[in-house]
Amino acid sequence: MAEIMKNLTEYHDLTLLLEEAAYNGNKRQIRWPGYQFFGYFCSYWPEELLLAVGLEPLRILPPGTNSTPALLPTYCCSLARNSLHSAIKKDLDDLKGVGFAHTCDTMQCLESIWSTEYQQKVLSLVPPVHLKAPGAKDYYKEEMKSLLHHLSEITGKNPASVELDQALELTNHIRKLTKELDQLRAYLPSQLTADLLRAGQVMPREKYARVLGNALPILEELGEKQSTKPLILVSGAVLETNSLFEMIENLGGRVAADDTCTGYRHYAEPAEPQLLKDPLEFIIHRYMEMPPCPCRHLQLNERIDYLEGLADKRKVAGAVLVIRKFCEPHAWDSVPIAKRLKDKGIKTLVLELEGSAVGGQERTRLQAFLESLMGNS
Amino acid sequence: MTEKRYRKLNSTKQLEKIMAKYYALSRYHRFWGKPTNRHLAWVTSGAPVELLRSFGIHPVYPENYGAICGSRKVSTQLCQVAENAGYSQDLCSYARSHIGSILRPDLAPMKGLPKPDLLITCSNICGTVLKWYEALARIFDVPLLIIDTPYLTSDMTNHAQDYVHKQLQDMVPTLEKITGRAYNQNKMKEAISSSKETISLWTDIRGLCKNTPSPLNAPDLFIHMAPIVVLRGTKQAVNYYKLLKAEVQQRVEQRQSAINGEKTRLVWDNIAIWYNLYPFFKMFSERNACFVADTYSGGWAMELEQGEPLESLARTYTEIFLNRSAEFRAQNMIDLMEEYNADGFVMHSNRSCKPYSLVQGIIRRKVMAKTGVPGLLIEADMADQRVFAEEPTRNRIQAFLETVEAI
Repeated sequence: MAEIMKNLTEYHDLTLLLEEAAYNGNKRQIRWPGYQFFGYFCSYWPEELLLAVGLEPLRILPPGTNSTPALLPTYCCSLARNSLHSAIKKDLDDLKGVGFAHTCDTMQCLESIWSTEYQQKVLSLVPPVHLKAPGAKDYYKEEMKSLLHHLSEITGKNPASVELDQALELTNHIRKLTKELDQLRAYLPSQLTADLLRAGQVMPREKYARVLGNALPILEELGEKQSTKPLILVSGAVLETNSLFEMIENLGGRVAADDTCTGYRHYAEPAEPQLLKDPLEFIIHRYMEMPPCPCRHLQLNERIDYLEGLADKRKVAGAVLVIRKFCEPHAWDSVPIAKRLKDKGIKTLVLELEGSAVGGQERTRLQAFLESLMGNS
Repeated sequence: MTEKRYRKLNSTKQLEKIMAKYYALSRYHRFWGKPTNRHLAWVTSGAPVELLRSFGIHPVYPENYGAICGSRKVSTQLCQVAENAGYSQDLCSYARSHIGSILRPDLAPMKGLPKPDLLITCSNICGTVLKWYEALARIFDVPLLIIDTPYLTSDMTNHAQDYVHKQLQDMVPTLEKITGRAYNQNKMKEAISSSKETISLWTDIRGLCKNTPSPLNAPDLFIHMAPIVVLRGTKQAVNYYKLLKAEVQQRVEQRQSAINGEKTRLVWDNIAIWYNLYPFFKMFSERNACFVADTYSGGWAMELEQGEPLESLARTYTEIFLNRSAEFRAQNMIDLMEEYNADGFVMHSNRSCKPYSLVQGIIRRKVMAKTGVPGLLIEADMADQRVFAEEPTRNRIQAFLETVEAI
């Protein structure tokens, strides 16, 4: 009986995570009454600081419609357009504020529009673009301090006494759990792993850590012990849904390595994590050394080397480089990454998507791509 | 015979001469660069070139080259070359034209730009220039120097200024190593002094357009801004703008207008539509509308800050208008509208330049609310002709001018 009850709890935990992923944070007021959510857009937004002042981080993942708000031209990405549309519809009014970590030109403009047009509290963090530049660390620290100060004002906490250590403990624990999940992904349905990772960006973090911790052993048990599916690396920006992962799975592939903003890159730790006494320095070190997105510069080929290493480690047969329509940073990077992977003998597909959902056209391309991989194996 | 509506500046001959000389010098750099120990750098338009000049570096501007490709109507073909190599059609058309010119110099003006010894990119104008120059660094395998100027959501902060200053300080030994030349503060001061004089002259020239009728129209500004971009920090630029200022001053004294019968005064926002420069502005001038000011050529009119040279450069180049919020830029437009007594404004929603264009909707709304004058938004591209639809644009311009004229 105790065993059955234990399993029910574990399945309950898994179901909760999948529900959260399906809602993408949209039912937060009903599901998590009493929590104060603060919205953000980018993985460079330091969740630790929000948690430290008593706010819950919520990644803004708007519904995947193709909105065209009047204040943005059609030639910018659907993430920006749909997010602005959500704000116009007042779907985000309950948030205690919205945070922009400076990334691409589009999000820079969205920040400007948001802070000009809406009464909502908008906070900005401008991380260094060149993370190895002289003075970058000192500059970053001042930016973080300033952000912490502004966040403290929202909840009335004294910045000197905010619980950074506790917040760090929680985020580090989540990163450890998601790392375990990521290592299981070759044996789990691709869309399941994608959902479980995304859930951790839209629900209260303490709850996420607890239920994911509970769900991991059962996931391990449920996972296929051996998979003969061709393993795929997926790299790209924000994906609001698991649509692409599901299609890869349905067409016979398995995503074994994930470098998307809403996937494992969001949680990835530096190759050489350092234990630093000053919590702020620890946080900065993590954001400066984590696998970079195309909007940051470490060394010239840092990101390409990282992806090549990831492909090697996960023994992938093919790579899908996702470019959301009008997403320039990923479009730029797709050229040298595709070249490097192809030179290594890894078949690579550059797939342009309007939003995060895949349709008939993408299916045809993915099918041909996966068939070519299966033919090879 | 159709009436000539456009008055050409005599200074244009001198402009063509100095630009031809600059590009000839650049093209033959391979002959004179090594013997004189002068390195050639490809540089972004917002980089603090004064520092490079103090090291004897010859700067070449791929963005200016992109504009040349656009004006010569070869951009589309060059963009297609880049697209065939995997670069998305949604990327900046200057960048695509330039990469196309590297891959197919036979199709490119001047057979492409001379190869660089180093690359210098400054993030103050957009995110594209980082990715573009990374791509160039992979192609040419030469040093890439990055100046990271944090985007300013409001005013400049001390830590942002210190950060840029620190990077410039660090660039000095790097440039010493690359060029084999010692940092020479006097040369730096000379370059800054020339830049200041050039900026002051350019500001005066633009200011003369506050007169009615305006002595210059937007195409004049776009064409004659070339030296302040590529020859910034040199005596040649100073001499050229002295000549231009004298001619524009004379026009003002003689009440000569840039276009015949100026009736409507407009302000332009964004980069020019290079492949259609004169025909496009003719749609306005034939209805007696003159562009008396613009935000784009004004980007090079920002005054250099006082103080220690590197500190001054750090502050000036971080505070440029493209690195500022919509709020700041809206106020900039409002000031232009008021100072130049404008009746309306036209914004080029430029598919190639997102930081310039994506906030135009909100700026337009603010400027219209504050000044009470109409603003038109036209979608096109600065260099890639494929996205320009002439007839719908003409219709919109006509409707807009009818509105302005009726006010």
